[in-house]
Amino acid sequence: MKFTRQFLAILRVNLSGVTQRMGSVLTIIIGVTCAVGVLVSMLAMGAGARQQEMGNVRADAVVLNTAGAQFGQGNISRDEAAAILDLPGIRRDANGEPVVVFQSIVPIEGRRRVTGNRIFFPLIGITPNVTRDRPEIHFTRGRMFQQGLHELIASNPCTRQFTGFEIGDRSPIHGSDWTIVGHFEQGQAQQCVVYADVDSLMSIFSRNTYSSVTVMLRSPAHFDAFRNGVMANPRLHLDVRHESEALEDAFKQLNAILSFVSLFVGTIMAIAATLGAVNSLYAIVDSRRRELATLRAIGFGSGAIVISILCESILLALPGALLGSALAWVFFNGLSASPFGYTFQLAVTPSLAVLGIVWALGMGLVGGLLPALRAARIPVTTALRAT
Amino acid sequence: MKYLPLIWSGLRRKPGRTILIFLQVCVAFALFGVLQGLKTGVEHLISEARADLLLVHGRLSLMDSLPLGLLERIRSVPGVKAVIPVELSGGIYQTPTQKVGIVAIRPDDGWLAAFTFEVAPEHIAALQKIRTGALVREALTKKYGWKIGDRIPLMSSTTQMNGSTDWAFDVVGTYKDSDIGGGSDTILVNFAYFDEARLAGKGTVSHFNVAISDPKLAVTVADEIDRRFANSSNETRTESLRELAQSQMQSIGDLNFLIRAIVGAVLVALLFATATMMMQSTRERTPELAVLKTLGFTNRAVFVFILAEAAAVCIAAAACGLALALLAFPFASRFVPGLSMPIVVVVVGLACAALVALISASVPAVLAARLKIATALASR
Repeated sequence: MKFTRQFLAILRVNLSGVTQRMGSVLTIIIGVTCAVGVLVSMLAMGAGARQQEMGNVRADAVVLNTAGAQFGQGNISRDEAAAILDLPGIRRDANGEPVVVFQSIVPIEGRRRVTGNRIFFPLIGITPNVTRDRPEIHFTRGRMFQQGLHELIASNPCTRQFTGFEIGDRSPIHGSDWTIVGHFEQGQAQQCVVYADVDSLMSIFSRNTYSSVTVMLRSPAHFDAFRNGVMANPRLHLDVRHESEALEDAFKQLNAILSFVSLFVGTIMAIAATLGAVNSLYAIVDSRRRELATLRAIGFGSGAIVISILCESILLALPGALLGSALAWVFFNGLSASPFGYTFQLAVTPSLAVLGIVWALGMGLVGGLLPALRAARIPVTTALRAT
Repeated sequence: MKYLPLIWSGLRRKPGRTILIFLQVCVAFALFGVLQGLKTGVEHLISEARADLLLVHGRLSLMDSLPLGLLERIRSVPGVKAVIPVELSGGIYQTPTQKVGIVAIRPDDGWLAAFTFEVAPEHIAALQKIRTGALVREALTKKYGWKIGDRIPLMSSTTQMNGSTDWAFDVVGTYKDSDIGGGSDTILVNFAYFDEARLAGKGTVSHFNVAISDPKLAVTVADEIDRRFANSSNETRTESLRELAQSQMQSIGDLNFLIRAIVGAVLVALLFATATMMMQSTRERTPELAVLKTLGFTNRAVFVFILAEAAAVCIAAAACGLALALLAFPFASRFVPGLSMPIVVVVVGLACAALVALISASVPAVLAARLKIATALASR
């Protein structure tokens, strides 16, 4: 009880003096703001990328790819495709047809609307049943492409980011004109995606293999039965993976780079901010030597003094954390970035803000430790005698 | 010169504080050094990339394939020295994490001029003789312990005629690659063998590498090649390796903005930290400064003395930080090859440090210069 009362009393004294020591206080707050702001903004890239990759993942979707091939770069022959349709565990639609989407991916280059810079986005040939099996795809304008025709549908981010994707726009692909006939929204995904009829696309590119196959299971529990079916068929050289697993793997490298860079820069900035905080707190403690010695002389325990200074340090770091996260949100949330040629929107999520705050608390704690110990060890007599 | 001991004693007055501010500036400039090194490293890579080596690929994208038949028409363009077809495929060695790129080329005479590779003549001869031969990037031989004469099994995404995806190549030699992509794990194999053995996509290539007789003609030749195939079903885009590097780096994109934002944040935080420190330390030394003035130091001398003190700490710490960054480069070069710190970065870094010192110390220095001896001593 006594400890708590003492602690609260000292803390009140500490905080009441804040306005007189504006310089030191601002140093701590601004240092922490910069460190947390940078950390949160950079992590927001990774969070945004993840949100987009994983936004449309379904538990009952399975991705098939040629064994050993990278995501979306497989070679699945028509023989294999036919064999896949007979595998166990596949969901059937109202007509009894198996729900399997065959894809053929061609990377296409576009020009940025603002900068004119080149960027790649996937032109995906798909079987037209995709709109039925992927409820997150819904048209905002126009219509679905027709099977056998040279028609394209583009996701809305395309029109925002690139030129040449308005309805009716034609683009020459491999010697023939393809017309944009529809715009669609695709759930969370902010990546520009263009779909075309897979057979038309493969015929003009004279391809006879699919890049990847997505299979809808009757339920997520049918996964093992389905995989065993693939393994048992000697004609199929395929990797079978949950959609989440396949995507996770495809973006592993990008995610690893993003989080490494963010944490690296964030840590260095945190070290600098902590050093600044230590310095400022030393200054604060030094300027209050007599006051602290007086407290000790009238019976306040050194434990209460240590804890109160640590608390002050943390309380000074907190506004920095909030300000830093807020600035990151104001400036960067929703901004689209395309490092490594892959476009996504930065997402400043609550969990990132929490991480920023924890980061700041760490800085406050570490930064306050040495000054707090010094405050507790101030020799009472000399400090009181000094002018 | 006579100020030096004064500055030194000023710094030693509170050694703890000086050390802390020194460390803070040092860490900040280490970050500055690494980030700027990254940027100049990337710029350096682009300027190093060969402008006289052309790549002919499909107009749509790098990944779009072209028929082999275009080769003769490209060769007939004036200024073209050699045209080599290149087909790219991917494979894995033993486990899915050990990826090996397969680059199928046609080792015709003079093919090396169209690449950035260095290969010993006897190794080229061996590749030309052995159909299933492969040249392995030197670093890759060490990674997996491959030796000349070994037969390496690779599982590839390219299916063979017999339906198998298992390929085997005989290591006949090694090569080095001086291009920016030279850090990847790739092997060079015979296009003739690869094309014949595969099931799908026969007679197509990923791109053509073109060597030209005169580097100055690069743009003209590139335009001429693309013009020949305009409005055909195989429209091409011809680019030099440097242009490719540029557009790749562009897609890393907002890197410059990012670096500028971070460096800005670091400097702002630093400015505040040093400014408060200088304010505090000048305030504490008011009586001492007054004594200095009593002894005959001019206002101007005191002003310079305070500025010099801040500048000494900041510039020394910045130099230390940049040196630290330099030490970190071998580690960071695992992510971006060719990191470097040209003298420009050092100069800009030290200038930034000086600027931070001058701005942060200017207010306390002015206050110190205006100090009235009588009031300062009286306030004791």
